[in-house]
Amino acid sequence: MSSHARTLERIVEVALTAGVAVSGALLVIGLLLGSTAPMWWGVLLLIATPVLRVLVVTVGLALDRDWLFVGVSLFVLSVLLSSAYVSGRL
Amino acid sequence: MIAIPTLILIISGGATGLIGAMLGIGGGVFLVPLLTLVLGVPIRTAIAASLISVIATASASSTINLERGLVNMRLGMTLEVATTLGGLAGGLIAAALSQRQLFLAFGATLAVMGVVMALRSGRRNVIAHDAGVQPGRLGGRLQEGDQAYVYRVKRVPLALTASLTAGAISGLLGIGGGVIKVPVLNAFCGIPIRVAAATSAFMIGVTGAASAFLYFGRGDIALHLTSAVAVGALPGSLLGARLSQRVEARSLKILMAVVLLLVGLRMALQAL
Repeated sequence: MSSHARTLERIVEVALTAGVAVSGALLVIGLLLGSTAPMWWGVLLLIATPVLRVLVVTVGLALDRDWLFVGVSLFVLSVLLSSAYVSGRL
Repeated sequence: MIAIPTLILIISGGATGLIGAMLGIGGGVFLVPLLTLVLGVPIRTAIAASLISVIATASASSTINLERGLVNMRLGMTLEVATTLGGLAGGLIAAALSQRQLFLAFGATLAVMGVVMALRSGRRNVIAHDAGVQPGRLGGRLQEGDQAYVYRVKRVPLALTASLTAGAISGLLGIGGGVIKVPVLNAFCGIPIRVAAATSAFMIGVTGAASAFLYFGRGDIALHLTSAVAVGALPGSLLGARLSQRVEARSLKILMAVVLLLVGLRMALQAL
């Protein structure tokens, strides 16, 4: 595996860890305090973490000039964003 | 609905996250029956909670799988095109189905996958480990101990079809869909089981998110229940991803086949 791909994997790993850690903390705080606001944000951030991950991969591949997979990644991102958009109108 | 103690929900999330991360399937396939059949949660609420828990499991276990170099990101992204489209469609259709129809769909899916797992539990994926073999654009390399392997991806259209189906089922039933992807990728597409599981888990977060937004927007997410289950799933899946290396794949597959068949039949009977 190229060192670029390895670096991208590391960055994705960090992004996922950050998303999971922050949302996990919010959920725990919400449960301990019996307050819905932190739970609401925790759940939303948990759903947003994979979207963040796709965004990170897209940028990484663009820097690597791997245009075919940038296209693939952008398509996935657009499906996710349209789902988020539709959900706002339900 | 009776109030379920938070601790029981956390343990349920932890147990399913552990198994889900070990097998690369997210764990919703166990969590939904557990919540509905054992704890009496309405199926739509259970599906929404399961989707969130599956996303938590996928993200958490991927941090470990990425570190080990088990995730094939290019393959994952390619198949995500199909899983997200399926996930969006499934999430939209789910609202139109009755509780009975959801039970029936879930039960039938589980039973079929149980049979598939049982039939192929003894098969091994042979991997070329010749330095001259090129993995191709979607294939990859895998380091296991001192041994380096190369694998090529076969039957990409089949992998895409399985991913589309997995995505739709994920959106409909709140499971990750790994229970369909992992066996197909491993049995028919030439991908080593550990890579198939890690790549499936990597995709599941994105598949789940495509439909989770819809459940979130419809207000189907019971916050307390969902948070408790997800809080359990996070450490459970981290542990599961670490344990997966040590357990023999065959025994896991057989255990999974048995559980799938039993739970599937139980759920289908519930609908009749």
